[in-house]
Amino acid sequence: MIAQKVSFESNPPKKTQKIQLNVNGKTESIVVDARETLAEALRFKLKMTGTKLGCNRAECGTCTVIVDGKTVFSCSVLAVEASGSSIESIEGLAQGALLHPVQECFIEEDALQCGYCIPGMVMSCKNLLDHNLKPTEADVKQATAGNYCRCGAYPNIIRATIKAAEKIRSRL
Amino acid sequence: MQRTERKLLTGGEVPQLDRPLTIIGKQQPRIDGVAKVTGGSMYAGDLELKPGMLYMKILRSPFAHAKIKRIDSTKAEAIPGIHAIIHKGKFPDWKMYFYLIPQKVFPDNVTWVGEEVAAVAAESIDLANKAIEMIEVEYEQKPHVLGIDEALAPGAPIIPTLDEVEVENVRAPSFPPVGNIFEGKPEVLKRGDPDKGFSEADVIYEDTYTVQFQYHAPLQTRVAIADWDGNKLTVQESCQGLWMVREDMMKSLNLTEDQIRLIVKYQGGGFGSKGGAQRYLHFISRLAMLTGKPVRFEQTRPEEFVSHPHRWSSKMWLKTGMKRDGTLTAMEGKFLANCGTGGTYGNQKDQMILTPWKLYECPNVALEQYGIYTNAQLTGYMRGVMVLMGNFAVESHMEKMADMLKLDPMHVRMKNYTMWGNQVKKIPYSAKNLDRCMKIVTDNIGWDRRESITESNKNKKIKRGIGMAAALDNGTGQPPFEAMADVVLSSDGTAKVVIGAVEIGGGMTTAMGMIAAEELGVSMDRVIVQYGDSEGTKYCPSTHANRMTAELGPAVQEAAYDARKKLFEFASKKMDALPDRLQSANNMIYVKDDPDRAISFDKALESLPSEGVTGTGSRIPNPSDWEFNVFSAKACEVEVDTETGQVNVLKVATAHEVGRALNPQAVESQLYGGVVMGLGFAMTEEPWIDEKTGTMLNPDLHQYRPGTILECPEIAAFTVEAEDPFFAFSAKALGNGVLIGIAPAVRAAVAHATGIWINDLPITPDKILDALYGTNKKAKDTTKSQQPFMDRPHLSSSVKAKDYIEERGE
Repeated sequence: MIAQKVSFESNPPKKTQKIQLNVNGKTESIVVDARETLAEALRFKLKMTGTKLGCNRAECGTCTVIVDGKTVFSCSVLAVEASGSSIESIEGLAQGALLHPVQECFIEEDALQCGYCIPGMVMSCKNLLDHNLKPTEADVKQATAGNYCRCGAYPNIIRATIKAAEKIRSRL
Repeated sequence: MQRTERKLLTGGEVPQLDRPLTIIGKQQPRIDGVAKVTGGSMYAGDLELKPGMLYMKILRSPFAHAKIKRIDSTKAEAIPGIHAIIHKGKFPDWKMYFYLIPQKVFPDNVTWVGEEVAAVAAESIDLANKAIEMIEVEYEQKPHVLGIDEALAPGAPIIPTLDEVEVENVRAPSFPPVGNIFEGKPEVLKRGDPDKGFSEADVIYEDTYTVQFQYHAPLQTRVAIADWDGNKLTVQESCQGLWMVREDMMKSLNLTEDQIRLIVKYQGGGFGSKGGAQRYLHFISRLAMLTGKPVRFEQTRPEEFVSHPHRWSSKMWLKTGMKRDGTLTAMEGKFLANCGTGGTYGNQKDQMILTPWKLYECPNVALEQYGIYTNAQLTGYMRGVMVLMGNFAVESHMEKMADMLKLDPMHVRMKNYTMWGNQVKKIPYSAKNLDRCMKIVTDNIGWDRRESITESNKNKKIKRGIGMAAALDNGTGQPPFEAMADVVLSSDGTAKVVIGAVEIGGGMTTAMGMIAAEELGVSMDRVIVQYGDSEGTKYCPSTHANRMTAELGPAVQEAAYDARKKLFEFASKKMDALPDRLQSANNMIYVKDDPDRAISFDKALESLPSEGVTGTGSRIPNPSDWEFNVFSAKACEVEVDTETGQVNVLKVATAHEVGRALNPQAVESQLYGGVVMGLGFAMTEEPWIDEKTGTMLNPDLHQYRPGTILECPEIAAFTVEAEDPFFAFSAKALGNGVLIGIAPAVRAAVAHATGIWINDLPITPDKILDALYGTNKKAKDTTKSQQPFMDRPHLSSSVKAKDYIEERGE
């Protein structure tokens, strides 16, 4: 089938668009470029640089955030696609000086070295625990299979996540 | 002035603490842990973008080898928003320094796909990309070579290397290349009489081993922001060390040390690749100086793969003679490294032949190491450096010989064990506990199951195997690097450790804080570590090559000791006791003979002058009557699917001699990381460089394949501790050697499972299937050795090895 030639005359594409993002419980209204990714919007528009960019093509996982309860690579979601969504990023986990159990356990189990993968890694683990409070080692591996850690903190990450689940369970 | 201070550096003796340790050896959370888990850690790429900042993009060569006949950027410069473009036409003779090695910035010939041809500073990344497209370059393509064999073949094109000869510079080549051979000569190590040794041998075996390039692939791609205020350049960087980078930049940009400020607060992984100033850093600095505006550069992931110096690949031929009981009688080897187009001192002296030279006792040894220039990008330091490559050949060889002689591989290793660091001059190691390391890992993996595993593998499609390997790594504390540190005690109760070091994730800043806290006798919550800024701190090594704990540690310890001594002067008046009778621990200062006479640290600090007291420290240079190396052993259990060729690593045991683990948890993390990266090297990581074009086809993480959590096996990590008086609290090196030995252990385990010996890394399913069922007889054939590749006539005519033989210590 030959693709139809699309005429934009009646409805020209817009270069920029105003969107609303609910980030960590706070509604933000921003104007984004239609080509801008969610990661770029978070980092450069909202100055939330906790979310990292390591490859910009859905390979490394440093840009992982939770969008409407799903872990996504924010480098591969357009900001306009995320409009109206509820987004959780690394900055929203701690309540003031009180760390989230996943964060606490990452420190206790030394599940970080250079720290560059950690925002994405923590978000993947946090979302796992949001859905499964009794994760097995296989569950943690499955949940973080899209997050590279070149420092190789994987064994600590597994331990930290399982420990965090225990912590959350004990507080329920 | 920093420079003068470096020359005055001597270091002093720090007496042993005459009390039990309170902090060292106990688990401490990282001092930067909270910032890193909350997203509060601001890496160079996260910093607030200044108004008016420009973005740099680089035009890269599409050809592996070509002459630039013409380059014209006038059309690109006419685009509004383009502020400056630099290239060969504008800076034809600009010489820069890369890891202190002189290189031409814009050479006449580009020598790898991805080499920088021009750099643009523009108001946006889009504009910069547009300008890159508008630069007109006319290339004259030339033939290229990628592999060692092709580069040495008769009539091979000569690759003009980037490295320039600089005789008075110990890090630069001292001789020009001959053909494509670095310095035109091998590095030679020789002792005894190999011919005599081989005549005494019962078995002689020779084989050739190859290893692939390995890329660091840090999660953070290289990023920097350079800002020039007309007199001073301030750079937010992602490098591994401030001072070597600053020195590189001073030389390249003709600035004084006061004119460059480097800041690296957080750093997203380096693994050896970011020790010196990278090529892009010279470009953004130059562009910032030309435009007077801040310039930012962040590499894309593909750029990260093609532009940074990756680890050498190599081809190694080794021949050994052994008696029936496993005693080595002679060893001969020719080790060739593919240096790409240059980078960080192509041949690395004797690094690849260090393992065969030192790991086992052998009276007759002759080893040659060659560096070969090709068009395979830049090469340089990576965790394990070249020792890793030589280790694969030696350990694979020992394993094979043990198999031929029907001896336990552990037995063969112990049979040739040596305590001499220099076997000719009989210089001992400062410490060596390799035997303990080997025992721990083999016990853990279940070495006594070897025969029962072989038995149970019969008639099974999925076969199991276990293997082990020993490893020697460079010790540390050698010149030319020095280290200095200050410890400032303030009346507010804090102890500030001031170091010019970069934290790359190894936990070095926490370790330095612990050393200071222990020496001062204060708790960790009082310690503040100031680091990562060349302003306000003193010279120290880059965080690489096993250096930091071993070299900066003693300097921090001495500074803390000095500060404590000064504080005791004040405290002694309050306590009515002589300063040298005082001691401190747990935030208290007490009289040694009468611990009940004590005052709190805070009380003592009250009497300090308002500026506090500052203790200074520097590292004692290593004495020459000891050899400093560190040792480790690795063992693993694998499962090989003989139908698919898939190797599944079930478990890895790793044991390292560390002197003393300052922070045991952080040490364990390093060991884990080494296993993950080592398994990547052994089994998955490999670049695909297209032979016809020289282009890297997999410059991305999915296809280059560093290990993910799914490939991470069960890991048992052990530290072997022993006193080593030459280091702060005996803490020696760790981070560099953690992956050495993983690859030969995996190979040995695969051989145990299947009987096939894979000599070229990585050990991939296709190689296993080929060896099991294919036409590749060579890999299966265990009796006939391969033809040594260095006996080719063209090499012996171009290189007269004898002329350069340095008979070490003889």
